[in-house]
Amino acid sequence: MREIMRVNMSNLSITMEPLPEGWNRYGGRALTSAIVFTEVPATADPLGAENKVVFAPGLFGGTNTPNGGRLSVGTKSPLTGGLKESNSGGQAAHALGRMGVAAIIVEGKPNDSLARYMLVVEPDKSAKLERVDAWAGMGNYAVSDAIKGTRAADDRYATITIGPAGEMGLKAAGIAVSDPKGYPNRFAGRGGTGAVMGSKGLKAIVLSDKGLSNVEHADKDAFQTAMKVFANALTTHPVSGQGLPTYGTNVLANIINESGGYPTRNFSEGRFEGVEKISGETMREVTLERGGNVKHGCHTGCVIQCSRYWVDKDGKYVTKGMEYENVWSLGADCGIDDLDVIGALDREISDLGLDTIEMGATLAVYMDSGKLAFGDGAGALAAIKEIWTGTELGKTLGHGAEATGVAFGVEHIPVVKHQALPAYDPRPIQGIGVTYATSTQGADHTAGYAITANVLAVGGSVDPLGTEGQAALSQGLQIATAMLDAMGLCIFVAFPVLDIPEAFGAIVDMASAHTGDTWSADALMAVGKETLTYERLFNTHAGFTAADDRLPEFFKTVPLSPHNVVFTVSDADLDSVFDFVPETAAGMGIS
Amino acid sequence: MNVDVALFASLASFQPDGMPGRHARVIEFPDGSSVGGVIAELGLPDEPRVVFVNGRHADDDVALSSGDRLAIFPPVGGG
Repeated sequence: MREIMRVNMSNLSITMEPLPEGWNRYGGRALTSAIVFTEVPATADPLGAENKVVFAPGLFGGTNTPNGGRLSVGTKSPLTGGLKESNSGGQAAHALGRMGVAAIIVEGKPNDSLARYMLVVEPDKSAKLERVDAWAGMGNYAVSDAIKGTRAADDRYATITIGPAGEMGLKAAGIAVSDPKGYPNRFAGRGGTGAVMGSKGLKAIVLSDKGLSNVEHADKDAFQTAMKVFANALTTHPVSGQGLPTYGTNVLANIINESGGYPTRNFSEGRFEGVEKISGETMREVTLERGGNVKHGCHTGCVIQCSRYWVDKDGKYVTKGMEYENVWSLGADCGIDDLDVIGALDREISDLGLDTIEMGATLAVYMDSGKLAFGDGAGALAAIKEIWTGTELGKTLGHGAEATGVAFGVEHIPVVKHQALPAYDPRPIQGIGVTYATSTQGADHTAGYAITANVLAVGGSVDPLGTEGQAALSQGLQIATAMLDAMGLCIFVAFPVLDIPEAFGAIVDMASAHTGDTWSADALMAVGKETLTYERLFNTHAGFTAADDRLPEFFKTVPLSPHNVVFTVSDADLDSVFDFVPETAAGMGIS
Repeated sequence: MNVDVALFASLASFQPDGMPGRHARVIEFPDGSSVGGVIAELGLPDEPRVVFVNGRHADDDVALSSGDRLAIFPPVGGG
């Protein structure tokens, strides 16, 4: 029986309540978006008492489902002003799932802005809020160590923490989740979720699942049968079975660069001359030379194993093995071609508790203003360090690319719905431009990863430079992604699922066997559509219009080398992406 | 004719010079060679791959010209 834990930071009460019956097919993003839509006024001040931050494992959370341990964090975003779901790996989702907690809702706000709290949840779901005022201003790694000092040596627990950026209410602040070794290096990074947690005085959450087993399946044998099919698809598809485990996500650097869509020096060029020095292949070679780990899962039960650790020249842990997005944002986008500089920036930004995508894009915008030269890694690190003490520059940077671009008078500010574009230029890869423009999340590649058919030849093929089929591609992927996020599945399962029909059938069968309900392909996709409908309606209530579903004008007017193209998908095509929402909303009885 | 050949990830070891690194090599092929012909000459495994000629996707039957850049990847993904 899944329950909701409600934590009220105004009166410090913690209560348990049943999951509303109509939501029993919801987990992860479906649940966080349903709760935020239902309980948070769309007009709420994101850092005010009316906003809430919700943590939910997917429907498969706490089970032995391969790659089924993703965590959704939902809130009204201080960055976009819309409904946000930020998705993280790490150990927290499985811990919640094993306890039978479908979601933790954190609401209200303490009167004392100097108070800091840690929410501690024990395996029996008993929970308490402890004062940790002395932890104010601590980085994620120091908080992680401090938490360790409060727990028994043989405990098994996951942490959810914020750094000083969240406490300062910076719009690029994210939430860190501990990985299998306890490092606070997995992130619900995007959209300022950390600032909402900080506004509630909540510095940390500890979830102990010591002694708890995985959640039972309604039909164990049927689940095992489907799970084997699913795991087999993940390990035999070349992308999830070979490329990702061998090279990590940064295997993409070379191919995106080759396609001419690798945004360089604040989206002014489509290829970076230093790509070989920062590619996934080079990262692997350097890490192995230094004795670092190049293959592990970000959460228990991951069979893809694309995570790794970045180590310094002495083999000492620095940060997680930088993802493709981080290497791009702190590397090519800033004109930096040194993995040690990128690693140092990643560590600093993660310790401060900020989104590494947003911060790289922010540094690139800052460099574009002329205040710092492109390629100046030491200058970039010094600028980032100013965030610790909250200087005017530090706070401006911490509010993200748009705030920085406005403050320093930059012409080309690559944001949609106030959130920075990730690592694919939408001019030579038009499908991802449709996702950036229309996503409920602001510019977000994961929301509908059209790179698959546009560049990678996964799930069919759509000409990246053409406009034909891009809106339909993005729509299908946005619905499917919302479904995967609701189930708690890693989106990298999409690579085999798009190419191997049995893999999708296995998700249907696992859902049926786990819940005891009858699921179908349509029922799965309905969850995806309903999730997006909550988000889309919330955003409309918050004031978003079709004008917010557009790329910045320079993508339509300034050609990008080497293909010398602009973004040409029509506004009518963009406006067609959410054409299913009115009918879905009517079926759900919401408006 | 001379073609600039770049092989990535697990294919890098198929460069005729046997040297590591992903940087492109200029390699001479018979005039009029196709993408498929070059792949055969390089001895790449008969497995799925993603091919670019001058930054655009290309099928095996595309004819190459001197000075072209040919980049070949095994299936990769991430994000």
